[in-house]
Amino acid sequence: MARATASNQTRLRAAPRRLNLRGLSPYAFLVPAIVYIAFTMLYPVYENIRMSLHSVTIRTFLSDNQPWVGLDNFRTIFNDEEFWHATRLSLTFTVGSIFFQFTIGFALALLFSQSFPGNYLMRAMMLLGWLIPTVLSGTIFRWVLDGDYGVLNYALTSLGLINDDRYWLIDSSTALWGTILANVWVGIPFNMLLLLAGLQGISVTLYEASATDGASAWQRFLTITMPLMRPVALSVLLLGLIYTFKVFDLIYIMTAGGPVNATTVLPIYAYDLTFVSFKFGTGAASAVIMLVALLVVATGYVWYTQREEEAS
Amino acid sequence: MSRSINRRTLLKTTGAVAASALSAPAFLRHASAQDAVTLTWWDYYDGSNGEALEAQLATYKDVAPNVTIERTYIPFADLKQKLLQGAAAGDLPDIVIIDNPDHQAFASLGVLEDVTDRVTEWGQASSFFEGPWNSTVFQDRNYGIPDNSNCLVLWQNDDLLTAADVATPTTWDELTAAVTALSNDDVYGLAVSAIKSEEGTFQWLPFLWETGADIPTIDSEGGRKALQLWTDYVANGWMSKAILNWKQGDVLGQFQNGKAAMMVNGPWQIPALRTDTPDLKWSVAVLPQESQAASILGGENAALIAGGSNIDAAWDLLLWRQTDEPLKSYLLQAGKLPSKADLAQDEAWTGDPVINVFIEQLKVAKPRAYGDQYPDISAAIQDAIQAAVSGESPVEDALAKAQGIITPLLP
Repeated sequence: MARATASNQTRLRAAPRRLNLRGLSPYAFLVPAIVYIAFTMLYPVYENIRMSLHSVTIRTFLSDNQPWVGLDNFRTIFNDEEFWHATRLSLTFTVGSIFFQFTIGFALALLFSQSFPGNYLMRAMMLLGWLIPTVLSGTIFRWVLDGDYGVLNYALTSLGLINDDRYWLIDSSTALWGTILANVWVGIPFNMLLLLAGLQGISVTLYEASATDGASAWQRFLTITMPLMRPVALSVLLLGLIYTFKVFDLIYIMTAGGPVNATTVLPIYAYDLTFVSFKFGTGAASAVIMLVALLVVATGYVWYTQREEEAS
Repeated sequence: MSRSINRRTLLKTTGAVAASALSAPAFLRHASAQDAVTLTWWDYYDGSNGEALEAQLATYKDVAPNVTIERTYIPFADLKQKLLQGAAAGDLPDIVIIDNPDHQAFASLGVLEDVTDRVTEWGQASSFFEGPWNSTVFQDRNYGIPDNSNCLVLWQNDDLLTAADVATPTTWDELTAAVTALSNDDVYGLAVSAIKSEEGTFQWLPFLWETGADIPTIDSEGGRKALQLWTDYVANGWMSKAILNWKQGDVLGQFQNGKAAMMVNGPWQIPALRTDTPDLKWSVAVLPQESQAASILGGENAALIAGGSNIDAAWDLLLWRQTDEPLKSYLLQAGKLPSKADLAQDEAWTGDPVINVFIEQLKVAKPRAYGDQYPDISAAIQDAIQAAVSGESPVEDALAKAQGIITPLLP
């Protein structure tokens, strides 16, 4: 009781100090997260950059004597025709995947934003593709696209679209598109879900008002849905870009980068350098290049969203 | 303010509880560590191979009751990556089983214990076949003991061969005649694995060696002949184009389902064939030869991780596994071949008509001993196989490109 009274008396004087503590306390709560991020994100990135500037091979991997080579690893990579090939494949894979994921996902989101019987059930089932492990979806598409027993060949021959069995994942002209097909299938639910959330955020009254004024469905889509969906759509596209650019497991399971190097996208190129050829330095350098590319995209995204927020 | 006092008391109390909770198990751990040894063990043996190993390790309890073995299964494709990560983090097992073509690379990494002195003291190095033993040696030092050996042979579906009136081919000409006769709309004459991984190289090298060529002379008449053989078989529909994406396990699947009349595969498939498809009638034969007989030596080695605190106990375990009884039943159960010459003469192997073929084939099986740049050499060979068999580039161009990459990588 005595202490309580004393503290009552000093409350006024103590107030500013407590305010200060209040100001710091949010940071105190952040400490675990900061420590966690430092250990699991910043340190590996630092280590990756360090390795990319040193000569690290299987013989020097564990030793303290890893010679500094400056930008030699980057020069090696930029002079490697395989790297540019991988970059082109990565761009095709990313743009191809996102284009189809987004358009199909958007179309489905528009469908599911209508109310009809079975809406929720079908929406839940659509999610399955996104929920099952990559090793399963990769293996399933390996079978679907198989040249001897694949169901795709069966469907296309039944429809009379092709005469001979095609080895989709073994023909270097179609292998990448085979992996894109699988990745689109995996990515559609993700796109649909986020876009659907965006659609549901648009007030119904806007549509009702414009309908009263005589706007057609197409006009309502162009003048209400499209502009109001822009921020959500941009977020989905950018998240998709970052996610798709670094897809590794799906492609690795389906083709391991083959035939020859027809599906060796940048992440597989970096993996092969590091874990097959044991060229850790150049492997790290290629990972740094990917990181920088994605950082540019992410920074652009943050800058854009801030501008949007200020404008609104 | 009384609230804050309460909170402090609460913190103290929970702290004390937490401390006592932590100290109890720590004390127990310490007490048990004094008389018991726990050995950690990594390998990639799955299915019946894994069961055979588990069974063998379980009996070690009778020999050394104080030793507990903690075995961790890591898929084949992940083991190298896990070892590298573990090496960087200083978190490695006491014992690791590695694929023998990778052994030299990991010895050069410096994570494997140099056991040269222990091997000398043991004095049994000369009882091993040369190929498997040499795969454990790096720069004249020993870094492990062979665990088992295997090699590739030709497997045939007896019913399909009888139906097509085809005898076991012994030369490439006979092989070509056989696959021609055996292939139809439903069945491919032969199945191999030409996937873009070590498995693809493993399957093709015997064909290369049979022509008398070798990796340093891959762009030669022999090399072209060996790659042309596979390319023609696929182009003519005698092998599926899908071999470019088949692992050896997929090849087995084709054979088990009667979709491939013959296949090239190793002895580790025996248990699966006998358990999963007991009705399938099959037999094995040595690979049909061209200018000479050859096969490839596969198998795994056991190695100790350098600087472990249980290194003596781990070495004892490895030596015990090399004694006749635990070794013999393990190898037989797993469908693996001994790496020791004396054990290969045992009735258990020579008396079995199937295994006998493998023992015969093992005599001409060559190891992949091309220095610690072998992974890159193998990658160049995989690209050549894939480019030629897929029809993307002519055999000549594919091999000339491979030769250009390989020559500077050779020791």
